[in-house]
Amino acid sequence: MADADRVKVDAIVVGGGPAGLSAAHTMASAGLETIVIERGEYAGAKNVGGLVYGTVLNRMIPNFFEHAPVERSVARRELIFLGAGEHVRLTFGAEEWARPPFNHTFIVHRSQFDRWFARQVEAAGATLLEGTVAEALLYDTAGGARQAVGVRVRGDEEFFANVVVLADGANALVTEQARRELPLAPGRVKQEYAVGVKEIIALPRGRIEDRFNLAGNEGAALDFFGVPFEGIIGGGFLYTARETIHLGFAARIESLRHAGIGPSQVMERFKEHPLVRRYIEGGELQEYSAHMIPEGGFNAIGALAGNGVMIAGDAAGFVNMSLYKEGTNHAMETGRAAGETAAEARKCGDFSARGLAGYERRVRGGVAYADLRRYRKVPEVLESSPNLLSLYPRKVNRLLVEFFTLTDSPKRAQQRKAIRNFLRGLPKFRFIRDLIRARHLA
Amino acid sequence: MSDQKIEKMTVADKLYRTKYEPDAAHPHIVVDQSVCANCREKVCLVVCPAEVYKADPNDPNKVAVSHENCLECGTCRKACPFDGIKWLYPDGGKGVKYRFG
Repeated sequence: MADADRVKVDAIVVGGGPAGLSAAHTMASAGLETIVIERGEYAGAKNVGGLVYGTVLNRMIPNFFEHAPVERSVARRELIFLGAGEHVRLTFGAEEWARPPFNHTFIVHRSQFDRWFARQVEAAGATLLEGTVAEALLYDTAGGARQAVGVRVRGDEEFFANVVVLADGANALVTEQARRELPLAPGRVKQEYAVGVKEIIALPRGRIEDRFNLAGNEGAALDFFGVPFEGIIGGGFLYTARETIHLGFAARIESLRHAGIGPSQVMERFKEHPLVRRYIEGGELQEYSAHMIPEGGFNAIGALAGNGVMIAGDAAGFVNMSLYKEGTNHAMETGRAAGETAAEARKCGDFSARGLAGYERRVRGGVAYADLRRYRKVPEVLESSPNLLSLYPRKVNRLLVEFFTLTDSPKRAQQRKAIRNFLRGLPKFRFIRDLIRARHLA
Repeated sequence: MSDQKIEKMTVADKLYRTKYEPDAAHPHIVVDQSVCANCREKVCLVVCPAEVYKADPNDPNKVAVSHENCLECGTCRKACPFDGIKWLYPDGGKGVKYRFG
């Protein structure tokens, strides 16, 4: 391509999800000429999710929830431990969560939400190239070390820029290749992945509100543990949208492999539990989706920036798999930090790794980094204490049920029997150790 | 849509509800059958949520791939211990197209 025909801008973003769009919004707002390359026909076409935490987005687009396509705000959360036919539930909610800013927790359809976000990014001045597949980075090796100078897209077109933000998500082909080529240091441990599977189930609005005891636009977010997920490292979720329910689970890929059980079988097991079955009864399936989640946490995060490159969001591994299950918020925070760093680098005219060092500094001073660090033991605890998610929920369910099961014997005898049954087959030393370890999860 | 019960749907039934922009002429997944022939575990048959991978009915050592059902999660890519799956993004705008996501 002749130099005169070269398309060159300040910044290229690979991926139009929360991380990439936040980077683009920040850069375009700072006056940088910015292109977003998105492989889907529209931003969100390839994305799956249900819960969005919006503290970072609310800083970028104040009161975004007044305009964005949010389905419901989360006024109630539930942790549900499933036995074979029993359940134990911990419910908590607050009136204040039902009022702005709604505890910054929303249930969305990501395909619609991301598309809305993309339009805001365009309004801020960025150009979106949807339906375009980024294939690889382009490099300049004149200075000795490789410096990323642009992106080659499918069809052999080339786009040049001073800096590239890689935000290609969990299934990050471009980031993985760039890490090898530049090269960028990997994390201390290999990244671990879970696969999430979800069904969108339509029900009339009134039935959802009655079934889940919701008023107006209030929603509920339910997390499930226990018997349907026995033998694998994973758990389920249910989010109430306006006229649909998101029902799904996520499980470590390696654990599915070891158990020899497929995601669709786990999903059916989950749906067969009487509690879950009643929640979705009479509903109609609208969509079946799947997406990976990087679950390695803090120790799996590698170098975040190199010559001409910054990596943000899922592509960099910023997912907190503790009970908070936070991903989109961290994607937005790291994306914004990359955008701020690009604007700073343009002022100095230095887009080398040194010029982009501010990215790592910003991330290290932020919430995502602090939280991933705080929950760095989650992957290890889930692997080494599988009973937390299966045997103990089963045992606790039986204990409570037997305590309150009426028989002809006196209560004292009945309760003793319940406790005896609870202790039978319980690895006591390990039980105490696991309970102590569980503090890393919450 | 049919009034099929939400319980007990097959994966094929479920995928029927998901929207795709098909691109039959350009498979984005290619498996190396020489790798599959020596692989007994065939973890791809287990972990794929869309059941894209099936044992070839004519030759159980081979793996048959229905790339048009792919949900593009990438699980197979991470699960195959022998790098036997060459997985590329489908062409721009093609493949799965989530309406809800």
